[in-house]
Amino acid sequence: MSKRSILAIVRQPALVLPSLIFPLFFAALGTSSFGRATALPGFPQVDSFLDFSLAGSVVQGVLFGSVTGGTALATDIELGFFDRLLATPTSRVSILLGRLAGAAAFGAAQALFFTVVLLPFGVSIKAGVAGVAVIVVSGALTAMAIGGFTAAMALRTGSSEAVQGSFPLLFIALFFSSAFFPRQNMDGAYKAVADANPISYLVEGIRGLTIEGFTAANVAKALLVPVGIGVASVALALRALRSRLAAR
Amino acid sequence: MSLHVDISLRLGTLDIEATLDVQPGEVVALLGPNGAGKSTTVRMLTTLLRPTAGRATVAGFDVATQANDVRRSIGVALQDAAIDPLMTGRELLDLQAVLYGIAPSAVRTRGDELLERVGLTAAADRRVGTYSGGMRRRLDLALSLIHQPTVLFLDEPTTGLDPMSRITLWEEVRRLNREGTTVLLTTQYLEEADQLADRVAIIDHGRIVREGTPTALKAEVGAPTLQVSVAADHVETARDVLARFGELRPTPEGTLGVGLSGGATVVTDVVRALDDAGAPVHHLELNEPSLDDVFAEATGYRLEGAGS
Amino acid sequence: MSTPGTHVLSHADQAPGGTVLRSSRGIALRGLRAIVRLPSAFFPAMMMPIFQAIAFSGTFFAITKIPGFPTDRSINWFLPLAAVMGSGFSGVGVGFTTIRDLESGFFDRLRMAPVPRTALVIGPLLAVWVRTLLVLAAVTVVGVLFGARLTGGPMALLTLAAAGLGTATIGAGWSLGLAYRFRDMRAAALMQLGLFNAIFLTNAQAPLNVMTGWLHAVAKVNPFTNILRLGRQGFLGDVTWDGSWGGLVAIAVLTALAWLFAQTGLRRLDA
Repeated sequence: MSKRSILAIVRQPALVLPSLIFPLFFAALGTSSFGRATALPGFPQVDSFLDFSLAGSVVQGVLFGSVTGGTALATDIELGFFDRLLATPTSRVSILLGRLAGAAAFGAAQALFFTVVLLPFGVSIKAGVAGVAVIVVSGALTAMAIGGFTAAMALRTGSSEAVQGSFPLLFIALFFSSAFFPRQNMDGAYKAVADANPISYLVEGIRGLTIEGFTAANVAKALLVPVGIGVASVALALRALRSRLAAR
Repeated sequence: MSLHVDISLRLGTLDIEATLDVQPGEVVALLGPNGAGKSTTVRMLTTLLRPTAGRATVAGFDVATQANDVRRSIGVALQDAAIDPLMTGRELLDLQAVLYGIAPSAVRTRGDELLERVGLTAAADRRVGTYSGGMRRRLDLALSLIHQPTVLFLDEPTTGLDPMSRITLWEEVRRLNREGTTVLLTTQYLEEADQLADRVAIIDHGRIVREGTPTALKAEVGAPTLQVSVAADHVETARDVLARFGELRPTPEGTLGVGLSGGATVVTDVVRALDDAGAPVHHLELNEPSLDDVFAEATGYRLEGAGS
Repeated sequence: MSTPGTHVLSHADQAPGGTVLRSSRGIALRGLRAIVRLPSAFFPAMMMPIFQAIAFSGTFFAITKIPGFPTDRSINWFLPLAAVMGSGFSGVGVGFTTIRDLESGFFDRLRMAPVPRTALVIGPLLAVWVRTLLVLAAVTVVGVLFGARLTGGPMALLTLAAAGLGTATIGAGWSLGLAYRFRDMRAAALMQLGLFNAIFLTNAQAPLNVMTGWLHAVAKVNPFTNILRLGRQGFLGDVTWDGSWGGLVAIAVLTALAWLFAQTGLRRLDA
């Protein structure tokens, strides 16, 4: 199952390319536009805005990529392929977990991709190779966590259009966080939302590994935040799967 | 108002060469299977596609150089009744009236007249998205009549319609023709061509292969077709016997057909001859020539689902 | 069946044909009706720029503190960007509708009508302008509620509207040209991507004097930088001729090019 979902991704570059290109585009744009913002009081100590951007790019790419997986699942349901799978002796839960494993593999690949592509442009990972490993694992976990939500939505609605409709929600989750700018430099209600948004802490964990170094706090944030979200979302997805099976 | 067509067009793998004249007040049917080039020909005549060579005039105007004059003279109902599902029937009529320059004071009455005519008065203010297939076609026809065109193009007007809706539409076309409208219609239904057309042009692979009145075309085929079925192991024998009575003709699978050059009176001779040859007849059918026979004779195959 | 030449009903020999004005209005009305009847299509076009104005000015709240930044309110910087971008997408929306009309065949109905071809482009454009004005009004009202100030007075609204309507007109021409050429939804991604790049590769996020590196070089020659300057000036200071003419020239030139692109595309439809 996971192999099939990865193959689906590789065969439809039009679905995948945006989630790889847009984060890079925004990183490049931000670096050129906000290069001087790094001198602002409250801005974390960084060598360049690009170092600061990497974490945001990874999380942005993984978030958008997760919509693709959910949409594919919903399309399978629409086309009846999902029902055909259910008719085989494959375990019900493994159908879902296989998909999420596929999403995780893609998320890991994305995290590695962004890190490697931005390296020649001067990104340096203070936490070293071990840090990169944690970032890749974090990408996988995040993909699985968000993939759980989009899968739950696909199973509940059975409509690819509805899953794609979640796109704006991810945009909001991303923008109302510290993905593109430090929370320290925000203000008022906007800061309050970003403070409460778990995405902020995920991004800051990855960012800490990039610009500070390999610390327990950074590793914990980068890994535990997606694990926490994932437990909730996978539980939701399993429940949605159960009610879809019951309705058959 | 007449049509004179002498055009050719290359469009991808489709290569069309059509010569056709339509006299004022005539109903002419372009008969052919899917992909024969019927719709493409209509698209050229209705100014949607430019022919690559040749010249066509509609109502006396050149479709390539006097497109707007052609547009003013023709009414067109295209194959899939393209109507905006968000608009109501009346709103579409209003828009059509504006596009054809109907005087503002006349728009309402003209719309009412046409809605009445196609039986959509009650549905006038409903969104077209809620219409049935037959209602859409009727609205499409009403739209094409907004400016009282002298030439009417109907591209497969009844494809996909139920028999009742089909008959209603045929009646309307006949009425329009009685009132003097020249009609060029395309169809893949033999019955439709037979019922409506003064003249039929059979089109196959982009070429008009036969043309004439249905009666004349049938007479050209001449002899009635005798269709027989025999046991499978006697087919060869039976074919030889039948060939003695006339030209073999394509018939539905599992049967043999022959055009009886001696006419219907020789049927008993045929049956006897088959018996004598040791191929007794299981089933037998005698058909006067139909457009189907004309079509089969002209193209070498039969239209799908055409029946006998 | 009739014999040739028996006319019972007297036919008008030719329909007069629709005039540019009346036909354009009719086509525009259809476009506007769709806003009310299919709100799910228009709603995102309205919400996106509002979200962008709020999200950008909240996230990048602190950039106004960079030395040399022309305003101390981030909403004043980002509201015009969101308004111009939203206008552009509202313009591109006509490309989407046209693709649907091409696919359904409704566009054939319009093409077969005896109206001057200009009506086929002016009609949709009128609808685009109305939609754009709605978007501009919504973004501006929400922006002002979130603290934006019109430093240039009422003239600020006029120049923002000019930049917005200009960008919408350019976007419409661009998207129609693509719609006529591709005739299916493949064109949709190109329409959006083109506009997105054109507007972001400017001083969209930071002023030229604050930017560094490659973007500075690109933004300096990108005509959309001028259009943004035109729309922004009334939110950064006074509205002046110096801040306006570059944007107006850019709109004039890009409109001419985009609509030439559309015109040649329309002609390809019948070949």
